[in-house]
Amino acid sequence: MSEVKLPPAETGPAEPTDRREFIAMGAAALVAGVAGFTGGRDQKHLVAQTPAIALPFTNQTSKVAIIKAASYSHDLESRMLQGLRECKLEVRGKSVLLKPNFVEFDPKTCINTDVAVVAAALNVFRSLGAASVVIGEGPGHRRDTFAMAELTRYRTEIPQFDSVFVDLNRDDVSVVNNFAGRKEFFFPNAVMRADLIVSLAKMKTHHWAGATLSMKNYFGLVPGSIYGWPKNELHYIGIPKSIVELNRVFGPKSFAIVDGIVGMEGNGPIQGTPKPVGVMVMGNDLAAVDATCCRIMGIDPAKVEYLQMAADQLGVTDNTRIEQIGETIASARSNFQLIKEFSHIRLA
Amino acid sequence: MAGRSYLAQRVDRLRGSQNADGGWGYFPGKASWLEPTVYAAMALHGEPAADRARGLLATWQTGDGGWRSSASVREAGWGTALCVSLAYGCGEASPALDKGVDWLLQSVGAETNWFSIVLGLIRRERDFRLKAWPWKPGDSGWVEPTAHALVALKQASSHSPNSALTERIESGEAQLFDVRSRDGGWNYGARAALGVDLPSYPETTALALLGLQGRNSLDKAFDLARQQLQETPSPLGRAWLTIALRMHGLPVTDLSGALNNEHDVMITALEALAAAEGNHWFMKAKKA
Repeated sequence: MSEVKLPPAETGPAEPTDRREFIAMGAAALVAGVAGFTGGRDQKHLVAQTPAIALPFTNQTSKVAIIKAASYSHDLESRMLQGLRECKLEVRGKSVLLKPNFVEFDPKTCINTDVAVVAAALNVFRSLGAASVVIGEGPGHRRDTFAMAELTRYRTEIPQFDSVFVDLNRDDVSVVNNFAGRKEFFFPNAVMRADLIVSLAKMKTHHWAGATLSMKNYFGLVPGSIYGWPKNELHYIGIPKSIVELNRVFGPKSFAIVDGIVGMEGNGPIQGTPKPVGVMVMGNDLAAVDATCCRIMGIDPAKVEYLQMAADQLGVTDNTRIEQIGETIASARSNFQLIKEFSHIRLA
Repeated sequence: MAGRSYLAQRVDRLRGSQNADGGWGYFPGKASWLEPTVYAAMALHGEPAADRARGLLATWQTGDGGWRSSASVREAGWGTALCVSLAYGCGEASPALDKGVDWLLQSVGAETNWFSIVLGLIRRERDFRLKAWPWKPGDSGWVEPTAHALVALKQASSHSPNSALTERIESGEAQLFDVRSRDGGWNYGARAALGVDLPSYPETTALALLGLQGRNSLDKAFDLARQQLQETPSPLGRAWLTIALRMHGLPVTDLSGALNNEHDVMITALEALAAAEGNHWFMKAKKA
């Protein structure tokens, strides 16, 4: 077991950020006889104010590539290469972990990063001279990850899948200190040892977070062998805060490729409906990628709590400081249906 | 492997993948973890390899009586239930085992608090008075750790029954029924999300059935389990479903076929337990 010491978190104080945490903290307030806690979903906009200090991304700009791909049968490799070159990503000699999103399987919808995107990324990163490329995921609900990989066609369509795949739920682990106020938190060694993590996310709405994109995709880095199925510890930390903390730790060695060829709208991330958008969105700055995806989805990133928290701390979300490469947001925009609990995050 | 029995293939694989410390990793060559080590020790019961595994597990018991999930982890967790079941199956009677049972009795999902109880009663969503077991202390209760804890406590109760065990078992069983999916099975432990029903999974339906050994009125779940056994592509799901149906005394077709993933030690061990001649009796639980 190795230990990794990280700088202290710069996020705001722990506040109730999802229903479970609200319940837990409400209970604590009741027991303590403290009145006045009126939190709930509507209060989400009031929390997570960042401290008034100079923020690392305040004056920076970020590049995000929006690459057209109308279907999974198109030449995704050349389009992906185009995006990586535009973003000037250095790959040669690096050990690369591709982190797709395969959380569940339902043949009626499109929950997971499509196998065509994962297969293309595997070939592209190999062709760019990566020292090694592995695929890793730790599904949050299902324990038989390889069976999930079979259902999602990863295991059948990616050559020698078993030899390039790491089940992050059951990998050996190392400690990260000072994660979200926890003295120690465990992460898979495949994640700790990677020089570059590529968040191969799916463009989806999310019934607790508003949207799930490249940053939320890192929930799958947390090992179920310790934190269980689902990874309940993250719910107690709070979903937005967990997203920010995971990206504080792993964002600096990350790149994002979001599969928006067919996304999911409505009651995502599992029970929504397919939404063809026809794009892949890429960049080194995951907050900028997610903010761009939100705008494509017709979601105001300034109203998505985790992006509020990440803004200028972990990346750029202000569209005036994001250099869009490839397609414009306007040409790609396709409003995603939102459940009523998130109707307020619609972009004007 | 042709010609060798389903069970023989798997126990041979386990014998060849034991770590020098006596444990098993989730995958060959990886560090030892409690979960694959317990299942492999059950599958190889009676062999020296199993004794070495129990020796390693003994070093992982924490001062509070629980068991930690690996040498890397300091805090005890849900795997305590597996160690208790392994100990009972081996005929052990010891203060260490008693402490493990006490640890399980103290372990409660964090949702069982007054605020949640009141909120649950108002919303009529869940009955948070019912006590489930969490994966790790401080978190909510979920189906899989609850099922394993019920098996372990029912085994404890059959050895030395007492009111604390009876009360906790009844509450845990009721909690499983409270989170049961509308289709009659179980997923990780949520009937619905935002008012939309969530389906059950094969592996968690099987585990809930294991935890509910001795209960009646499970016919719908048995029908679903048989259907899931036919349909699931998951070797893990098939192994747990086979074990669960066997534990309820129901007829089940023996598993067959080669190893689906020869690198997956945990599933290999569970398939060995599920085999007709396998040691699935470690999961047998009778209420006193």
